[in-house]
Amino acid sequence: MTAASAQARIGRIGLYVLLLWTCLFFSIPLLVVIATSLKTSDEVRTFSIFSLPASPSFAAWVKAWLSACTGLNCGGVHVGFWNSVRILIPSVIISVFAGSVTGYALSHWRVRGANIIMLFLLLGAFIPYQVILYPLVKMFSTIGIYSSLPCIISVHVLFGLPVMSLLFRNYYAGLPEELVKAARIDGAGFWRIFFWVMLPMSVNILIVATILQTTGIWNDYLLGLIFAGRDNIPMTVQLNAISTTSTGVIEYNVNTAAALLTALPPLLIYFTSGRYFVRGITAGAVKG
Amino acid sequence: MSAVSVRGLSKAFGPLRVLRDIDLPVEAGEFTVLLGPSGCGKSTLLNAIAGLEDIDGGTIEIGDMDVTHHEPSKRGIAMVFQSYALYPTMSVRGNLSFGLRVKSTPKREVEKRIEWASRLLQIDELLDRKPSQLSGGQRQRVAIGRALVQQARVFLFDEPLSNLDAKLRTEMRVELKRLHKELGATIIYVTHDQIEAMTLATRIAVMRGGRIEQYATPDTLYEQPATLFVAGFVGSPAMNFLRGELVGDAMRAVRFGAVTLPLNGYPFQHGQVARDVVIGVRPEHISLAQDIPIEATVEADTLFMEPMGADTLGWFQCGEHRLAARLSPQVARGINGRVRLNFAMDQVSLFDPESEARL
Repeated sequence: MTAASAQARIGRIGLYVLLLWTCLFFSIPLLVVIATSLKTSDEVRTFSIFSLPASPSFAAWVKAWLSACTGLNCGGVHVGFWNSVRILIPSVIISVFAGSVTGYALSHWRVRGANIIMLFLLLGAFIPYQVILYPLVKMFSTIGIYSSLPCIISVHVLFGLPVMSLLFRNYYAGLPEELVKAARIDGAGFWRIFFWVMLPMSVNILIVATILQTTGIWNDYLLGLIFAGRDNIPMTVQLNAISTTSTGVIEYNVNTAAALLTALPPLLIYFTSGRYFVRGITAGAVKG
Repeated sequence: MSAVSVRGLSKAFGPLRVLRDIDLPVEAGEFTVLLGPSGCGKSTLLNAIAGLEDIDGGTIEIGDMDVTHHEPSKRGIAMVFQSYALYPTMSVRGNLSFGLRVKSTPKREVEKRIEWASRLLQIDELLDRKPSQLSGGQRQRVAIGRALVQQARVFLFDEPLSNLDAKLRTEMRVELKRLHKELGATIIYVTHDQIEAMTLATRIAVMRGGRIEQYATPDTLYEQPATLFVAGFVGSPAMNFLRGELVGDAMRAVRFGAVTLPLNGYPFQHGQVARDVVIGVRPEHISLAQDIPIEATVEADTLFMEPMGADTLGWFQCGEHRLAARLSPQVARGINGRVRLNFAMDQVSLFDPESEARL
């Protein structure tokens, strides 16, 4: 065996060790959480966290869903789940739609000051939330919708708009300009070109945008905590309240089950739509 | 009546003046070709006529109506693009009918026009396919069909054949010529391909640097180019240029090197004449001298021969000038070494080297 091939072999082994290590690093905590959620409270307390459940049961899941307590409220995470859904659907629809229209306008129409708008969008995409939280709270209080469903929805739409607009702008910039010219000569205006010509060509990028927004909004904690109000707290905020509740015995099995329930929707989305996600990202990246 | 009348049109992108004071009258039924190298402003001019490009000055009239500030769809035009620009999510039928549906044309009328156009272009078999399922030539036909169903007053073509391969391009060229003849439509057509221009046009506007250098019939353009640029741009291989000077009584001869060639009644345009001139001779107007007196011929060294099939291009070195001559293959085969060439002096063009204008 030559020195070069021996070296290559060592490199390869090193690579696999690293990959294995990375896999374990990410999967062990997940396995622990899943195992714990299937145990009884006694089992959690008496055995090691790495032990497998003796008789797996979904009791903790049912309890987490229907009757886990946050303070004195014992409605389970399904309350937060439906709140999250109510926040999610309008936020995703509005932000994706607004982003696609903005991106279309910026890429195919000569908008006065389009470059300035792009600059602000870029800035908007990179500004940390924390910086503008306080002014936003003040603004929403002033117009009297602070701590309400419309409030949290507008916050998600506002924060989603820069990234959505950039995403769609880049996608539409890759479509031939002559398409819009042809439609203009055919007599179609701004909206008709958008709905009849551009949107039908945007299926992949729409899926990407919807996935990005859905997972982003579903996983949001900070904005939900501050802007949603007590009656609309999303699942993530409720999960935190459940797991930090200090009365009585800490039910780790219920907490882990609640955590898994909260993480389930984005996980499902990734598993079912990964294909579109990859396709959409490349569709946006390659011209033509 | 002019179908299209462009007057004093100008357009700048920032400091770059892409169109300078353009005048372009197009008669009804005319096939006008805008010809020029890339960046000469020909596509910008077409877009300006279409209304897709705002202009800085001048007026555009289509069918005796001032449309300078009209929307593209209100100008009575239809356009075919280089990239075809078919709507990829619509079927061929959808592509053809889109513009009519936008204008709320009655369904029966839409059907009628689609049937007419698709039969004319032989795409009636393809109506339910998507553009992605069509070949390049078929896409081109659909793009033309989309323009035809509009029954516009003027059809604009922006380099429609440049994405096709050579064979298909020749076929589509003939097809376009047939359509023009059959429909009697008014067409403005942009291309950088001089063969397309020569074969299709009733009039050609040769453009350079945002100006029209000459606007004339293909024959006039070829035989009496108005400027050095037009002379060099139109014709393949290009016209031969020789530097010389006018001599003799009333400038009746032209001399270059040691030879003096007679100018038999050259139609000087302005009477006033520069002394130094550029002599332009087309390759087909140079022949091998046989029974012609020695003093009226030019001596040259043979460089090489390029057989083209129907004829052979002979390349010769004559002093500082390299000359191309279009010869018959039989004649070309025997050529070697030093030869004497004869110029058809009644066919030459003379240019002022300063202004580059035809004398």
